[in-house]
Amino acid sequence: MIEFHQVSKQYGHDKSALSDITLSIDKGELIFLSGPSGAGKSTLLKMIAAMEKPSSGTITVNNQDIGRLKSSGLPYLRRNLGLMFQQQCLLNDRNVLANVMLPLLVTGHEKADAQKRARAALDKVGLLDQANSEPQSLSGGEQQRVAVARAIVNRPQIILADEPTANLDRASADKVMDALHAFHGVGVTCLIATHDEHILSRANRVIYLERGRLAGGAA
Amino acid sequence: MNQWLRLHALALGDAFRHILKTPGSFSLNALVVAIALALPFAGLTVLENVRPVSEQLAVQPEISIFMAMDTSRERAAALAPQIRRIAQESERSAKLEFIPREQALTLLKDRTGLSDAIAALGDNPLPDGYVLKLAGFQNASEAGRVDALAVQLKALPGVEYVQIDSAWVKRLAALMHVLRLALLFLATTLGVVVIAVVFNTIRLQVLTQREEIEVCRMFGATDAFICRPFYYTGALLGLCAGVLALGAVAAALQPLNSAVADFARLYASEFRLAPLNLPNTIALLIISAGLGVFGALLSVKKHLARLS
Repeated sequence: MIEFHQVSKQYGHDKSALSDITLSIDKGELIFLSGPSGAGKSTLLKMIAAMEKPSSGTITVNNQDIGRLKSSGLPYLRRNLGLMFQQQCLLNDRNVLANVMLPLLVTGHEKADAQKRARAALDKVGLLDQANSEPQSLSGGEQQRVAVARAIVNRPQIILADEPTANLDRASADKVMDALHAFHGVGVTCLIATHDEHILSRANRVIYLERGRLAGGAA
Repeated sequence: MNQWLRLHALALGDAFRHILKTPGSFSLNALVVAIALALPFAGLTVLENVRPVSEQLAVQPEISIFMAMDTSRERAAALAPQIRRIAQESERSAKLEFIPREQALTLLKDRTGLSDAIAALGDNPLPDGYVLKLAGFQNASEAGRVDALAVQLKALPGVEYVQIDSAWVKRLAALMHVLRLALLFLATTLGVVVIAVVFNTIRLQVLTQREEIEVCRMFGATDAFICRPFYYTGALLGLCAGVLALGAVAAALQPLNSAVADFARLYASEFRLAPLNLPNTIALLIISAGLGVFGALLSVKKHLARLS
């Protein structure tokens, strides 16, 4: 489903974020991406979402070489992805429900249908009662769960989560991870970047990155 | 089609939402654009009021044909059929009147009040002549075509001089043309000002909504989806400014009309400046909104490319 072939990423002349990465991820896998800060975990996730371009090598998602994708094709690639990054990027000028509806409205869904599906997604992460709250009135854990609901509301084939439990207490982190495990349970491919040892203990497969290179788990 | 309408309704709603978040800033921008629009709108209002007046003027050019002093009365009178033929060939209905030199002298004395001075001349200095009154001209600019007719008349034997009295009509037509060109230049210049103001307004909005744009892109929004609300904001800014400018011009007509009425009364006229008619008003509002969209288009293309 996702293939990296000799992928490298450099910023400027001397800063190498990723070097010679070759790995394969199958449909329906739950994979954790681990390594110290600055190992290149976020860069790798951003490359799958075509938010960063590789300096060399090829990345294919659903048999599509995303390096060759035109800018007009990027939105259609991203519609199959559920993205969660370190900053939740919730929009504070609208309530929780409107934030979760956004990926559906972007793709032209009817407002009533979008509302229904957004409520269902919030229900799955246990936040339906906060649908009309302002994002800034929620705790960090709740905001992260709203981000999970927003990532899965358009039923993506792949979820890419970058440090989804960073800065959360254990109980909140477990709730976020339970939600992600639930989506993996229904066949969604999940790729989660983390250096939280507690979360890693629940992993089937872990890919280790160190200084931009694979240190284990690629196969 | 439903999805297309839905996306446009969503974009329009987004545009309104962002405008309502900063109503003061939007109002001030609309005011600046309205000031720029008010001047050409006022010019157009005046021109539209003057145009029918200039067209309704009695445009019946007169051609005075003066015979040479040595042309006999018989020869002069014999020219009448030829003059009529030339007038008919120009496809204009015409009224021809022969004025003997004695009658011309009497008219001169009566109309100028210079009878004593004319009597001092002794002999009658005026020649026999014709006055050809042409009809069927629709407006001032058309009356200018009488020049060609005058050239033919001057070529007739015994004719010394041909005078056309429609010069003032041509001057008016030329003045109207100059005013139209000046208005076009003014409108173009101020149109650029409007585009620049909208460009800057939308630039600030793009920067303010940077986070929202990035989130939308993250979830697969196309460039069209992201740009649409900004186009609507530009259109709404242009439209509101157009309404303000038209309102300001209409309000300014009230005090102006009292001064115009005093002036027109001197010429026994009931002339008043009226606001623009409905089709012109709608056209100006469409142009205002169009300028807004164009400014937004330029701004969004430039600044979204930077965000990417």
